[in-house]
Amino acid sequence: MDRRHFLRVTAAAGAGLLVSGTASCATSASSGPVTQAAGTATIQSNLSAPAAKAAIDALVKAFNDRKGAQAAVNTVASETFRTQLPSYLTSATPPDLFTWYPGALLKGYEEKGLLLDISDVWQTMGDYPQSFKTLSGKVFVPTTYYWWGFFYRKSNFAKWGVTPPKTWTEFVDLCRVLQGKGVIPLGMGAGSDSPWTASSWFDYFNIRVNGAPFHRELLAGKQKFDDPRVKAIFTPWREVLPFTDPNGTAIGFQEATTAMLQGRTGMLLTGAFFADAAPKDAIDDIDFFRFPIIDPKVPLAEEGPTDGFFASAKSPHVKELKEFLTYAATAEGQEAYIKASSGTVLPTHPNAEDSGTPLVTKGRQHLKEAAEITQFFNRDSSDALQPTADAALIKFLQQPDQLDTILADWQKAAQQVWSS
Amino acid sequence: MTRSSTRVPPILLLFVLVPLAVEGFWVFWPALQGFWLALTNWDGVSPPRFVGLDNYARMIDDPVFHTAVTNTAIWLVLFGGLSAVSGLGMAVLLQKERRGVGVYRAALFVPVVFSLVATSLIWQVLYQPGGIFDSSPLADPDTALYAVLVPALWRQVGYVMVLYLAGLKGIDPGLYEAATLDGATGWQKFRHITWPQLGSVNSVVLSVIVIDSLRSFDVVWSMTRGGPYHSSELLSTYMYSTAFQSLKLGYASALAVVIFVLAFGVIVTYLVRAFREN
Repeated sequence: MDRRHFLRVTAAAGAGLLVSGTASCATSASSGPVTQAAGTATIQSNLSAPAAKAAIDALVKAFNDRKGAQAAVNTVASETFRTQLPSYLTSATPPDLFTWYPGALLKGYEEKGLLLDISDVWQTMGDYPQSFKTLSGKVFVPTTYYWWGFFYRKSNFAKWGVTPPKTWTEFVDLCRVLQGKGVIPLGMGAGSDSPWTASSWFDYFNIRVNGAPFHRELLAGKQKFDDPRVKAIFTPWREVLPFTDPNGTAIGFQEATTAMLQGRTGMLLTGAFFADAAPKDAIDDIDFFRFPIIDPKVPLAEEGPTDGFFASAKSPHVKELKEFLTYAATAEGQEAYIKASSGTVLPTHPNAEDSGTPLVTKGRQHLKEAAEITQFFNRDSSDALQPTADAALIKFLQQPDQLDTILADWQKAAQQVWSS
Repeated sequence: MTRSSTRVPPILLLFVLVPLAVEGFWVFWPALQGFWLALTNWDGVSPPRFVGLDNYARMIDDPVFHTAVTNTAIWLVLFGGLSAVSGLGMAVLLQKERRGVGVYRAALFVPVVFSLVATSLIWQVLYQPGGIFDSSPLADPDTALYAVLVPALWRQVGYVMVLYLAGLKGIDPGLYEAATLDGATGWQKFRHITWPQLGSVNSVVLSVIVIDSLRSFDVVWSMTRGGPYHSSELLSTYMYSTAFQSLKLGYASALAVVIFVLAFGVIVTYLVRAFREN
C-alpha cells in the first residue's frame, strides 16, 4: 500500500467517521483492487447494465477462446467505479485494464504518469480514422461509440402528419404544429438523477451556433461562460422553451423516454443508448433526425461519445493486456462485443460490421457526415465541471429571464473547478 | 492494598488494547488525517499540497456553502424539533397498554426498518408530477428542501418515539398515583413528573437528533442530489459532491471538519449544561 492510496483510504474513512451517513465512501478499503491471477489481464469494468455486461463478457470470452493470453472481467457499479478510479490507479497493485472514455480526466492521469503508453497497439490500427487517433492520444483504445439526435416514433409522426425538419425554422414550425395538436413537442428528462441530460441541449446549441472548436475551448477553460457568444446560444433555446415539457426538470431520463414512446411528447433529444431499454416492439418504430442546422456556415458537428479501454502504468501484465487491446481493436473483437450487446453501439473499426438494423446504419452514416465529433459535456470538460452545468442549465430551464446571473454564477463556479 | 489486587490479568488487557489499536488505526488516525487534509489541496492522485487555512477562507465567498449552512440549520431545527415533539407526543399517546396499541406502535416504527434509499424511491413516486401534486415539489427550488424533509421525518418520528417510550416505561408509577391523589391535572403531571423524569432520555434524543440531522445524506442525495441548483444542498451532500464529483478532497475535508465541529459543539454544550444542573 503506497502512501497516496493510504491517504485516500484514510481520508475516506475519516470523512465516514465524521459523517457516517456518507459511509459509502468508507467502504473503499474493501472495494479496492482485485487479486490477480498470474498471467491474466484483469479488466476493471463499469459496464454493469445487463446488456453492456453481456457484451464485454462476450468480448473477453472470444479473446480467451483464442487460447492466447487470458483476460478476466471485474464488474463494478459505475458510481463506485467513478469515485474509486483515482484509488484504483494509485494503488500498488491496480487492475491492468479499465473501461473508460477519452477526455480531460484521462489526460490528467496521463500527465501524472499513471497510464501505460500503448502506442504500439495503435501500430496495428492503421485503418482507424485520424479523429479517433487524435482523441485517444497514446493511452487509449476506442472500441465503440454512439450518436445523439432527436428520436421519435415513426407511427406517431405519421399519425400527426408531420415530417422530420432540417433547418431551425422547420424545427420551430414542427413544434408549433405538434402543440396545436395537443402534444408536448419536446421531451426533457433533466429532473431526478439525470440533470446532466440538459447538457446535450447546451452542447448542440453551442456546436451549431459557435462551432465545435469554440465549444472545446470553452469546456477546456479557454473561453468564459459569460461570454456574449455563449449568451447568444440561449436565444434559440428560449424560442423553443414554450414547446418543452414543463415537467422536464421534474422527471428523470427514464420517465422522459416513456413519455416519448407513449406519444405524450413528440420527440426527445437523447443518445442512442436509450433504445437499449425500449420495449422490443417499439424499437422498429423508432427513428431520429439530426439536431437542426441553425447557421449553415458553421461546419457540421455531432456528439459521438466514444468508449474503450486504457491500461495502468503499473501493470505487471503488459504483454497480455496489449494482446487484449489489440484484439479489442480488431473488427472481429468488436463484432463479438456488438453481437452480444443490445445493438445500438457502433464499432470504431471502420470495417467492423454493426448490428445492421436500419436505425444503426442511419446512425453510422449520421456521424460519418459530420466534419467534427464532440464527446459530450463531461467528457470534453471533466466530471468536476458537470455539476456546474447542471446547476446553471436547470436554473435556465426554470427561470430563463435570469440568464445573465446564471451565466455569471456558472463562470464563477467553473473558475473554482479549473483553479483547483 | 496488596499488589495482586490491582494487577489486571493480561488477557483482559489484551481484550482492551487490541480493539483500541484497531479503532485507533481505522478510526481515530484517519479522522486526524481528515483534519490535516483540510489544510491541503488534494485531487486524490497527486501529493496533497499544503495551503494553510485557504479552504476555510474559501467558504466565506462560496455561495453554495452559504446555502448549505442555511439549509442545514433549517434542517436541524425542523427535522430535530418536529421529530422530537411528535416522537414525544406519539410516545405519550401510545404509552398506556390498551388493546391494539402494539399495532400503532409497530406501524409508526415500520419506516425506521426501511432503508432510506428505498424510502426515498417510494416518496419520489408519490411526488411525481400528476401524482399528489400537479408539479413535483422536488423540482421547485422553493419547496425541494421541505419535500425531502417529509420522508426523513416520517422515518425519524418512529425512532424518537421508541426512545421516549423506553424512557416513559422507566418512570415510577407511584409518582403518578401520588399526583392523582393530590388532584394534579394531566398537564401538571406531564410538566412536573414526566418531563423532569425524562431528563436523561432527552439528552440521548438530542444527541441522536443532532447527529442524525447533520449526517442526513442518503435521503437528500437519492431524491434531489442537493438540487435543483443547490437549493436542497446540505453540508453533507455538498461535502460528498465536492469530494467525489469535483475531486476536491482538501476542501471536502474542510467541510467535514465544519460538520464535525457543529455536531460536537452542540452536543458538548448540552452535556456540559446537563451535568452542571445535576
